[in-house]
Amino acid sequence: MDSLNSLIDGFGTALTPINLMWAVIGVLLGTAIGVLPGIGPAMAVALLLPVTYGLEPTGAFIMFAGIYYGAMFGGSTTSILLNTPGESAAVVAAIEGNPMAKSGRGSQALAAAAVGHFAGGLIGTILLVALAPTIAELAVDIGAPDYFAIMVLAFIAVTSVLGSSRIRGLASLLIGLTIGLVGLDTMTGQQRLTFGSLQLSDGIDVVIVAVGLFAIGEALWVAAHLRRNAAAPIPVGRPWLDKSDLKRTWKPWLRGPFIGFPFGAIPAGGAEIPTFLSYVTEKRLSKNKNEFGKGAIEGVAGPESAASASAAGTLVSMLTLGLPTTAVAAVMLAAFQQYGIQPGPLLFEREPDLVWGLIASLFVGMVLLLALNLPLAPVWAKLLQIPRPYLYAGILFFAGVGAYAVGGEALDLVILLIIGLIGLGMRRYGLPVLPAVIGVILGPAAEQQLRRALQMSDGSVSGLVNTPFSVTIYLIIAVLLAWPLLRKKFQSRRNVSA
Amino acid sequence: MRLRTPLALLGAALLVFVGPPLLSAGDGSDTGTQIPGLRFMVPNTPGGGYDITARTAAKNAEDAGLTHNIEVFNLPGAGGTVGLARLVGEHGNGKLAMSMGLGVVGAVHSNKSEKTLADTTPIARLTEEQDIVVVSNDSPYKTIDDLLKAWKANPSKVTVGGGSSPGGPDHLAPMLMAQAAKIKPKNVNYIPFDGGGELLAAILGNQVGFGVSGVGEYLDQIKSGKLRLLAVTGPERVPGLDAPTLREARLDTEFTNWRGIVAPPGISDREREKLTALVEELHDSKEWQESLKKNGWNDAFMVGDDFGDFLKEQNERVDTVLKELGL
Amino acid sequence: MNSRQTPTPSAPRSDTRSWLRDHSELGVSVMLFALGVLVLTDALTMDVDIAQRGPVGPTTVPIVVGIGLLVIAALLAFDVMRGGQGEAEGGEDIDLSEPSDWRTVLLLGGVFLGFAVLIDPVGFPVSGTLLFWGAAYALGSRHPQRDPLIAAVLSVATYYIFNNLLGVPLPGGPLMGVL
Repeated sequence: MDSLNSLIDGFGTALTPINLMWAVIGVLLGTAIGVLPGIGPAMAVALLLPVTYGLEPTGAFIMFAGIYYGAMFGGSTTSILLNTPGESAAVVAAIEGNPMAKSGRGSQALAAAAVGHFAGGLIGTILLVALAPTIAELAVDIGAPDYFAIMVLAFIAVTSVLGSSRIRGLASLLIGLTIGLVGLDTMTGQQRLTFGSLQLSDGIDVVIVAVGLFAIGEALWVAAHLRRNAAAPIPVGRPWLDKSDLKRTWKPWLRGPFIGFPFGAIPAGGAEIPTFLSYVTEKRLSKNKNEFGKGAIEGVAGPESAASASAAGTLVSMLTLGLPTTAVAAVMLAAFQQYGIQPGPLLFEREPDLVWGLIASLFVGMVLLLALNLPLAPVWAKLLQIPRPYLYAGILFFAGVGAYAVGGEALDLVILLIIGLIGLGMRRYGLPVLPAVIGVILGPAAEQQLRRALQMSDGSVSGLVNTPFSVTIYLIIAVLLAWPLLRKKFQSRRNVSA
Repeated sequence: MRLRTPLALLGAALLVFVGPPLLSAGDGSDTGTQIPGLRFMVPNTPGGGYDITARTAAKNAEDAGLTHNIEVFNLPGAGGTVGLARLVGEHGNGKLAMSMGLGVVGAVHSNKSEKTLADTTPIARLTEEQDIVVVSNDSPYKTIDDLLKAWKANPSKVTVGGGSSPGGPDHLAPMLMAQAAKIKPKNVNYIPFDGGGELLAAILGNQVGFGVSGVGEYLDQIKSGKLRLLAVTGPERVPGLDAPTLREARLDTEFTNWRGIVAPPGISDREREKLTALVEELHDSKEWQESLKKNGWNDAFMVGDDFGDFLKEQNERVDTVLKELGL
Repeated sequence: MNSRQTPTPSAPRSDTRSWLRDHSELGVSVMLFALGVLVLTDALTMDVDIAQRGPVGPTTVPIVVGIGLLVIAALLAFDVMRGGQGEAEGGEDIDLSEPSDWRTVLLLGGVFLGFAVLIDPVGFPVSGTLLFWGAAYALGSRHPQRDPLIAAVLSVATYYIFNNLLGVPLPGGPLMGVL
């Protein structure tokens, strides 16, 4: 139990009053900045990097841990309340969280997200402590064919979010895939659908797409059908999760980390795909399927927990291999290097105090995040009580700020508006919005992994199934697809025997 | 009562027009190396190479008291050409500089960007870094000779992984190697990865034949024995690393990545001199020298026209290589 | 979506018109078809000169997506002709019993476009104020004193937080450097 002892020492470092103070400041700053539109965790950490320059390394990284978790939670807050996700990991939170907020269950949604972050972070960090070296070894064996198999699985999962009309759901998915095509082809550098514009050559960011389809599209759609007479303020409702909420959320909270953590740890994992997979899983398993899309609390709890655990997974590869799997990790890696510390295989031996102090402060940061934000949830939720015109004007305003702040390009605002108009049309004609966002996330990733796998095998299709992992995934897919048939057979046999 | 509306409008107008300039006032005086309101553009994302260079340089300049409050901001896109286009668009702006490097030279070509580095005012080259040729510790290639033999025998089966998109430094290096080894560029099977992290995993997992990356990126993995360093691409061996140069392996080529600073076109001579003086002072500061050491960057300081000529020469070289590749 | 009908309270003049209104969803089908053609044209006119390895090159996925769009456009048209209809999305603030108010949508879209056009020449604080005020006005807020002041304070505060505190540059306006 070597790592346990080291962890206890780590708590000794993290819980000194001064380091505790840095953690509190980090969580507060991170949340405050994460709430701002257009500033995701990576940007928040980069912006706050200079604040930590004056500190000694341990204090600085403890503060970083706070900023990271704080910024992730802050991103979910705006996603839930204003339908404007500030970063890709928070996109899924808007799908169920915003309808909840609109119907007066905003504080429950925020509380479910806060506890989800806590649970995900806690389980994720425990897995980090227990499994870091093992997982790091395994993670590097996951290659392009394996990723592609996971993408195929994810595409099959999309069918469960297509909505009532398959045709309209698929149309939405194809619109998303088309948006995902825009930009330079990652493998060869060919221009695709860029119409010669340099600004389009990096593609359209999924956050812009999500904010455009969700926030702008919604604001325009509301404008077309605004309830002029009965503008009763949105009720704040009871501030806490009640028994029935807890009954619905505890399983998603615990399931999320086991989807999020592995994805965080693998090199091309990130948080979008696990949050989406968690959402689909919760939808499948929920007893309240008909509530999905209208504000099902499971759809907030699971994905948020997965997102937080994936952040912990990110740290596994970064600390043990020096391998940054997300933008935040890349910024943190740069920060380590500022202090002359090189994360990687030798880090645990060279800087045990710092590493274990950092890991311990992750636990501390999560407790602080929960303690600070759970009481704040009803306060945040009151934000929605401001008059409708101001609320939607504010959403447009912050969506605009966010889109502009990322690159300082007015063209991004035009793109945002165009996507918003598409979102309006989709709402008018009953095309579900979610498949389009999923298409933007999955399309480019799947294509890249497919082509990378084929290139590695020099064009041979066998390159897609030459790893045990990918074969396993395809077998799972086969079982999933055959399941309805199998079940029917099974049932009829049982009926006969009965 | 009637007056209230115009008053409210007036108040609002006053606030939005006069507020921002007042908020930003007091940036300091324009003396010595001080350039009030200097902004430093990073044409890639936070955490990337140009970002780290820019943020380090800005912090060191502030710490050394050369100028205060340099604002570093990111404008990523198309390998740096979106930032370049913006910089060129800021004609005559003496309070803007951009962090850049060889990658931007390549991106100008592969993106067919209208604006090129010839449109900018070159300020200085700051650092350079050799590339390395690495494989995992259980790779069948024990030496660079093993690798070259296998590569020449079957170029398309021995895949090359790099952390940059086509046209970037990690792509150029293996292409130059292939050229020297008489391998047809079209036969090189180059696989781009999203930055050094994903590439590292692919090398460690033996998913690519070999990897090419900056020397600073994987020092620790090399020292801990997880990666086997086969060669360095520069003109001389890297102190502390036990690996031959390409020339020692009888490949007649060399490749060094570099980073520097450029300013918008059309700035006045005085503005140009001030920026140059600032980077010269920065270069001499102990803070910068310390940062070079910490980050494992080689000092490659070069200012003014020398840097301008260097840019031209690099531009031609990249152009030739990429043309041969048909990019 | 271009074929969206402007709702008039008066009865439709002819049968063709009312048929078109009932089947305005065909416009979505047309859009999807046009998008499919665009994607396919872009893919087929791409000059692929790099040695492609294996069956999947830079044009493969666009071709698949483009064909998918054409197929789904046809299926959707078929569905609409058979009487299928997309269900307009409901919501707390949405009153579907009222006819669509495209004037407000147009106004709101115009305000946002104005923001995009003005932000570089007149700066963020001014354009942001106009965005918030204009959007609030479009959505029915009529407080000639309160609205512009709220908008201005919000805009300048946002500018200050982003530009001065965080160092995310936003354009300050024509008086920057003059005062």
